[in-house]
Amino acid sequence: MTGCPFITDRRRLLMGLGLGAIGTLAPAAQAREAAQPNVDDAPHGHAETAAQSVPFHGPHQAGIVTPRPANGIVAAFDVVAASLDDVETMLRLLTERAAFLTQGGAVPERDPRLPPADSGLLGPVVAPDNQTITLALGDSFFEAQPALKPLKPARLQRMVQFPNDALEADICHGDIVLQFCANLQDSNIHALRDIVKNLSEYLVLRWVYEGSVPPVPPAPDGSTPSARNFLGFRDGSANPDANDAEMMGRVVWTAAPDEPAWAHGGSYQAVRIIRNFVERWDRTPLREQERIFGRAKNSGAPLDGGPKATERDVPDYAADPDGAKTAMNSHIRLANPRTPDADKHLILRRPFNYARGAMKNGHLDQGLLFIAWQADLQQGFIAVQNLLNGEPLEEYIKPVGGGYFFAPPGVAGPEDYLGSGLIDAARRA
Amino acid sequence: MIGTYLKTTGLALALGGWAGMAAADPSLDLVGPLADYKIYVAENTAQLVADAEAFTTAIKAGDLDKAKALFAPTRTSYEKIEPIAELFSDLDVSIDARADDFEKAEADEAFTGFHRLEYGLWEKGSTEGLAPFADRLMADIHTLNERINGLTFPPEVVVGGAAALMEEVAATKISGEEDRYSRTDLWDFDANFAGSQKIYDLLKPLIAKQDPEFVAKVDGNFAAVDAVLAKYKEGDGYVSYEKLTDADRNLLSSKVNTLAEDLSTLRGKLGLG
Ligand code: HEM
Repeated sequence: MTGCPFITDRRRLLMGLGLGAIGTLAPAAQAREAAQPNVDDAPHGHAETAAQSVPFHGPHQAGIVTPRPANGIVAAFDVVAASLDDVETMLRLLTERAAFLTQGGAVPERDPRLPPADSGLLGPVVAPDNQTITLALGDSFFEAQPALKPLKPARLQRMVQFPNDALEADICHGDIVLQFCANLQDSNIHALRDIVKNLSEYLVLRWVYEGSVPPVPPAPDGSTPSARNFLGFRDGSANPDANDAEMMGRVVWTAAPDEPAWAHGGSYQAVRIIRNFVERWDRTPLREQERIFGRAKNSGAPLDGGPKATERDVPDYAADPDGAKTAMNSHIRLANPRTPDADKHLILRRPFNYARGAMKNGHLDQGLLFIAWQADLQQGFIAVQNLLNGEPLEEYIKPVGGGYFFAPPGVAGPEDYLGSGLIDAARRA
Repeated sequence: MIGTYLKTTGLALALGGWAGMAAADPSLDLVGPLADYKIYVAENTAQLVADAEAFTTAIKAGDLDKAKALFAPTRTSYEKIEPIAELFSDLDVSIDARADDFEKAEADEAFTGFHRLEYGLWEKGSTEGLAPFADRLMADIHTLNERINGLTFPPEVVVGGAAALMEEVAATKISGEEDRYSRTDLWDFDANFAGSQKIYDLLKPLIAKQDPEFVAKVDGNFAAVDAVLAKYKEGDGYVSYEKLTDADRNLLSSKVNTLAEDLSTLRGKLGLG
């Protein structure tokens, strides 16, 4: 199948060159070089996806309710800043870099006797590639600066251990995190390298996790099915609709009256690095896997649906009070019992799958780079995790890292910078 | 957009001097600093030979306490001139490699030099069996001394050495991996900074006029490093690496990386390719 088009292509090429048939050896060899894919050809990129860009300016930061591209990186840093001025300089510099990296453009040329301005990973012109860079601030960011401490978002706190956690200090917390998302992981890596280089004076890297989501072809009806996580289940089916601005205003964007004014329009981010015991999972009967989640593995549909049910169907727990269909301790039923009260615990999940090679025990180091956004950290992630504590899924997962952060509102325009509201408030105080 | 980029990365500076630098004759300017640096290296290698004599003698005499006391100060002369010492990679491996440079770690036969002795003195708490390693180290250091004396210093190595020493600290020292048995890492930090600053100070007169902002920034960062290290001084040296707080380690780390970033432009600024 693959051979034919190339042969016709080559014929066409040869005809075009006025060489009716493959006659002499030399021209034929040349033509083959030009037309036939070869072992060291670069994989074909797509001009269309490379040109996709997410606006950098707006009331909210990008990378939260904007569509999740195929690749993500979360990088946590500690901030080195002796004063509020230092913090402001850092935030301005970060904003400038993020504006360039997300919108793309030509990389400046330098005297070749100097180190180049850019790593060059993406060539002389950086394509936007759906790149977003989202800044979120940790509890320690505020604690470190006396001027910022009183302005800490009301629900921001240092992540504490849940019963099933085995937190590793090296991959927990951070003064800030940057979430990089793009179509290609190379774009994220390029952006991360740029930030590390240009902000070395202010940022010391703590940990980095890279993840991805498998691209999924559209369903026959035109809808896009949810991508699968590394346990093979569709992940995201019951997420609130991120295009519903009114709903996002309740679920994602912070606005409570007891939150500092500068924080309105921002969002709490819970990052959890959750290892999956994939070998053990793959040795678990399908029925048990489905019981644990409360959803069918292939379709992602809730278990109380018929054979034609889809992942978008809503389970009817009222009709199943004893959990005969959807077990009471299944993941989705615990996470969202769909009682009237449960609405206030809604969160927007935007995770990536990660795979990091092998562990000492000869098992694969794979899992979920869980990222949840919410207006209220306490009512959101923390409450839901508390509902999930003790769930049967725990036998197959182990949260090992992450942290809680707060993403300040967006950058209004070219004169504005990330966190400006916070800095202004600190100066006024 | 490019304008902003330059402003933020501080490159405008470097580019501003582009035309001027190309016209200068770098080799002439560098003669003085290179000669001075050669003297600095010679002094340090002589010191290294003398200190290593005392250190290895103590080991062979079975004087554990004395050997432990001499370990860190002996290393400092080596760490100061590392950009030159590293030119002889065979010797650098046998003098200064760490256990994790070898597949079998501490048990590896190829593991010799300072850190092999450090391992014996601290982990094993004894000088027993260390004599052959002491002899080997002394012989290597004599060879190093001879080779350095016969060396014409490549200007790009000397000029690049200021940044190379910072890269060294950033890559393997800041994490406390270097002197893992004795925890004398801060002595090495200090020596690496001193070695880097020496090169920078010798070259500073050549760039101070064109690049006052650059010089002010680098001076400031060296001073910030000094201020952090000063907190940990004890006697002629330093307290254990374990005493270094996370905040100070982060501060050192940011300064080291920024110094590496800035000093990496020295070669270009002086017209060396
Ligand atoms: C490795 C860990 C996890 C895996 C593999 C996982 C997987 C899944 C799957 C397959 C679903 C069903 C489809 C969907 O609605 O997206 C789901 C739903 C959900 N998960 Fe998780 N999840 C994990 C951790 C968490 C954590 C830590 C939380 C929050 C604390 C959470 C909260 C939720 C919520 C709120 C739902 C939707 C429930 C509903 O509204 O029906 N999950 N998860």
